[in-house]
Amino acid sequence: MASVAVAAPRTHRHKEVRRHLLIYAGLTPFLVIAVFPILWMAITAIKQDADLYLVDAVPFWFRQAPTWKNFDYLFHSTSYGAWIVNTMLISFWVSAITILTAVPAGYALARLRLPFAENLGIGIFMTYLVPAIILFIPLARVVSTLDLQDSWWALVVVYPTFTIPFCTWLLMGFFKTVPFEIEEAAMVDGCGQLGALLRVVLPVSWPGIITAIIFSFTLSMQDFLYSLAFVSVSEEKPVPLGVATELIRGDIYFWGSLMAGALLVGVPVAIIYNLFLDKFISGITGAAIK
Amino acid sequence: MSWWRTPTARRYFFGYTLLAPAVLYVGLLVGLPFLFSLYLAMSDASVGSPVARFVGIENFVSALENAVFYTAVRNTLIFTFGAGILKGLLGTTLAFLLLQPFKGRKIVRALIVIPFTLPIAVSVLGWKWMFDSQFSVLNWALSRMGLIGGYGSPDWPVWLGEPGLALLSVMFVNVWRGFPFSAIVLLAGLTSVPPEIIEAAKVDGASFLTRFRKVIVPMIAPILFIGSAFDTVFTLSDLSIVYLLTNGGPDGATEILPTLAYNTGIRGGALGRGAAISLFLFPLLLPAIILLLRTLRRKQY
Repeated sequence: MASVAVAAPRTHRHKEVRRHLLIYAGLTPFLVIAVFPILWMAITAIKQDADLYLVDAVPFWFRQAPTWKNFDYLFHSTSYGAWIVNTMLISFWVSAITILTAVPAGYALARLRLPFAENLGIGIFMTYLVPAIILFIPLARVVSTLDLQDSWWALVVVYPTFTIPFCTWLLMGFFKTVPFEIEEAAMVDGCGQLGALLRVVLPVSWPGIITAIIFSFTLSMQDFLYSLAFVSVSEEKPVPLGVATELIRGDIYFWGSLMAGALLVGVPVAIIYNLFLDKFISGITGAAIK
Repeated sequence: MSWWRTPTARRYFFGYTLLAPAVLYVGLLVGLPFLFSLYLAMSDASVGSPVARFVGIENFVSALENAVFYTAVRNTLIFTFGAGILKGLLGTTLAFLLLQPFKGRKIVRALIVIPFTLPIAVSVLGWKWMFDSQFSVLNWALSRMGLIGGYGSPDWPVWLGEPGLALLSVMFVNVWRGFPFSAIVLLAGLTSVPPEIIEAAKVDGASFLTRFRKVIVPMIAPILFIGSAFDTVFTLSDLSIVYLLTNGGPDGATEILPTLAYNTGIRGGALGRGAAISLFLFPLLLPAIILLLRTLRRKQY
């Protein structure tokens, strides 16, 4: 009797261990494929050149001490500092434009029981699906009409074409979850429609607004085509474009600095995006679940 | 009291005022440019000259007369569907693995989605280095495992320099970037199936396969459609992988419609012809967009 009682949890535990081992075995190839490129980029970024270009040596070991000189090179011999500043300023303005347009739009679509609200919402969201590759040529004309070619301001004008649709959709979903009562209470207390929105709804909506700012930033960072097509002056480039175009001279690649420059900005973006990924997924699939 | 002073009218007015900035922005910078691209495609507009002449369907005809165009269409189709199928298979496998409860699940998930969250230009540069003709770490590993000879031997693969391998390499990078997305979308769908329903089916004596076919698949089908439609749009319109890895080479082996449109329209300065080429992507995008629209609309009711 006693032995049965002891044996049962043990077989259970064995089963658990076996199950875990199987799952880990299944996941290992995925993990290796997903993570290895990042590790390899990181190793490259801190290697000395002489240590990098050896065909037969084990590439994962350091035969010469790790170095920061690839990072030094970025800041002293390229416009990397300017690219970071450009990226920050672009993100700031894109976020501002996105919030100022998408917050009111999302609110109106979710809360004001407007005729055609649902179709309008879907219509705005569908523009997120008109890809850059179809729009970049006509937008090149728009950019040159505004006299913004070769300035990062061109990207400030263009990036909201995908951040507004996405964030409007996201915020529409968000505003639907804010209880109607708090607005009604405010209006009973004498607030108008606008007063209720500004004084009562917005203060409880900051999680949605922060999410929209994060996506204005991360989605802007995913762009390559627009910056490539509209900005060719070195000092005006955002980081991804600058790294991809300025650290290659003819057919000479500055691999150490390339990887350093790519990771220095790529890793923080990936971490932030990672934390908000579920919101991105539920944003684009929102209508399909439930 | 006239209608426009009723509370309803005021609410409508307030609502459409709030909507106006977003609708205008998107209308002016997505809607109009889209129509403008139809016009450009039928003109001889170029980067240098501000005045364009109407040329009818000349740009489309000249695209169709160009052999590179057909290579680009063929490669675009192989690239999109080949990579799409692989992402579907890998993503499904991964989703079912991640659905299991196990220790460290959150960390594993966070690590596995890295390829999708890294800015695309950044990770493509990493791959470019890994596909280097001489110092490729992949070749080093293969060589150490004895699968290929050393550098300089005839079976040393030059990933981005041989036509077949180059197409395979750019597809591989697309799959690498996209499989976590497929998995996470599918996972979201699978976790939205209430366990009670599956339990109920079990109690009713449904086998695993029946449960899968009759309960799980219909419930996750819409989300699967949405996921693959988004992925198709991302893949069809992405230029950075091919542009940075091979720029269409060697010898047009990886030329796709986006790179051809960019090189013709911006680099070559022939805006009209570039616009015409990029519009050929539209029929390929349309099924994905219609599918999405139908899924979104059906869910309202």
